[in-house]
Amino acid sequence: MIDFLQQFFASPVMQDALPPALFIAIVASSMSVMILAHRLSFLTVGISHASLAGLGLAIAFSLPLLPTATAFCVGIALLLAALPKQRGISEDTGTGLLFAGSMALGIVLISQVSRNQVDLFGLLFGNILTVSTQEWHWLLFIGCIILLAFITMARAWWSIAFDAITAAASGLPVSLLRLLLYATVGLSVVMCVKLAGIVLTTGLMVLPATCAWLWGRSLIALWLLSMSFAIIGTFIGLLFSYNYDWPSGATIVLTLCIMFIMSWGTAWLTQRNT
Amino acid sequence: MNTPVISLSHINFGPSKSLILDDISLELEAGHFMGIVGPNGAGKSTILSIVTGRLQPNSGHIDLFGECLKRFNRYRLLKKIGYLHQLHDYAPNLPLKVRDIVAMGLHDYAKPLWQRFGSTSHQHADIVQALQHVEMDHLIDHDFRQLSGGQQQRVRLARALVRKPKLLLLDEPAAALDSKQQQKLYTLLRQLCDTQGVAIMMVEHDIAAITGHVDSVACLNRSIHHHAMKGEQIPEDVWHQMYGQHMHVIAHDTSCIGCHHD
Repeated sequence: MIDFLQQFFASPVMQDALPPALFIAIVASSMSVMILAHRLSFLTVGISHASLAGLGLAIAFSLPLLPTATAFCVGIALLLAALPKQRGISEDTGTGLLFAGSMALGIVLISQVSRNQVDLFGLLFGNILTVSTQEWHWLLFIGCIILLAFITMARAWWSIAFDAITAAASGLPVSLLRLLLYATVGLSVVMCVKLAGIVLTTGLMVLPATCAWLWGRSLIALWLLSMSFAIIGTFIGLLFSYNYDWPSGATIVLTLCIMFIMSWGTAWLTQRNT
Repeated sequence: MNTPVISLSHINFGPSKSLILDDISLELEAGHFMGIVGPNGAGKSTILSIVTGRLQPNSGHIDLFGECLKRFNRYRLLKKIGYLHQLHDYAPNLPLKVRDIVAMGLHDYAKPLWQRFGSTSHQHADIVQALQHVEMDHLIDHDFRQLSGGQQQRVRLARALVRKPKLLLLDEPAAALDSKQQQKLYTLLRQLCDTQGVAIMMVEHDIAAITGHVDSVACLNRSIHHHAMKGEQIPEDVWHQMYGQHMHVIAHDTSCIGCHHD
């Protein structure tokens, strides 16, 4: 076992992949708390799929991949925050619409580029094992912005999630804070897409807080629990991925799922016994 | 004369063809307890939303504490207001303790996470006091989701009280309460008016339950039909204007068997 761990930490691939993966886990699990509180799981599905159009645009016009995708995702998130109220479309309809539309655009754009230029499997299911230094710097940059936004606005977001009307009546700028929340969720989705891919991003954004939800009883507790679940899940996921040569993103999401089932079972058993 | 806490003048609100509020003017002074009654859709809750600046009237003027309510001073003025809205559209599934919910009512709750909050003895004392007002202090560490509807309502009221407001805007605060708790609530509100000079504007369906406690009753249906001071009878034609012909006015006085007068 110890030999295996030494081997794991010594492998150059993991030395490159572990810091970004854990960093992404911390950022995603922080926002995860707000995504659950505001019921934005479907929004993360929408934005992550929309990022395919962003990546498609970047590839078609040979722009830098991650910055283009970032701008595109934040744009889509803000559009979704602003659109429904104005036009009387419910939010899940709007999300579904943009989700399908931008996915279609992304597929058309990417299909025009020759096959070996694009790592489509990596886009869809994530590939943390090939993070370039430049990408790592970009991830650090937006990750720090997200964490800063979270720490500054978490309490305001939290009280809006509990009761938006009273929050507005006590003077909080609720619409602005909601826009900022959507934008920050958009940013977090871009980071997760690098680790877990378009299809599996939602798992990373929803599962950590879902596990924490069963145990935490306050904002701070939920946040710390959510981060712990994500860090442990990512680490174990990468161990398995390294050992059995499974795709890293999928293994991490699978680990988090198993952690949720175990956590849920334990909570059920303890509640039944009291 | 003191400056009134609320002064509304000629407020119009809603689409011009079917106004929800039509030329509303009223004043509320410190220590005054006003009840607003009226049928469904009369615009009762809308008035409260306009006072908190959540809705903008088409025309008219709102003064709070002698200052015109504007975008830039809204945050400062609203600090002095406690607001309890109606329950509909309200099903949060957040794991929260009662104490955290009351803490949300404190000023500057929305501080960044690196500033400790809610744990200082001063804040803790305020939270406990607000919960004592509504007799919920024994459940301070309970999960909010496991409370009954009436208990939740009392916690929400504590959240409005913990701000030590100068003005309380209450939208059917007694909705989920049993009659004993209702009377306790009205007694508490009366006490806040008399001892701390809090002004209260309360929307309520059940006029019979509140007449013994309030200083005045405004009868609202799109416009204010009548503003009765304490002890004054509301004329029968006002009732018919508000609720239509098919209602009977039952007069309440101190000898009324259905009412409890302490």
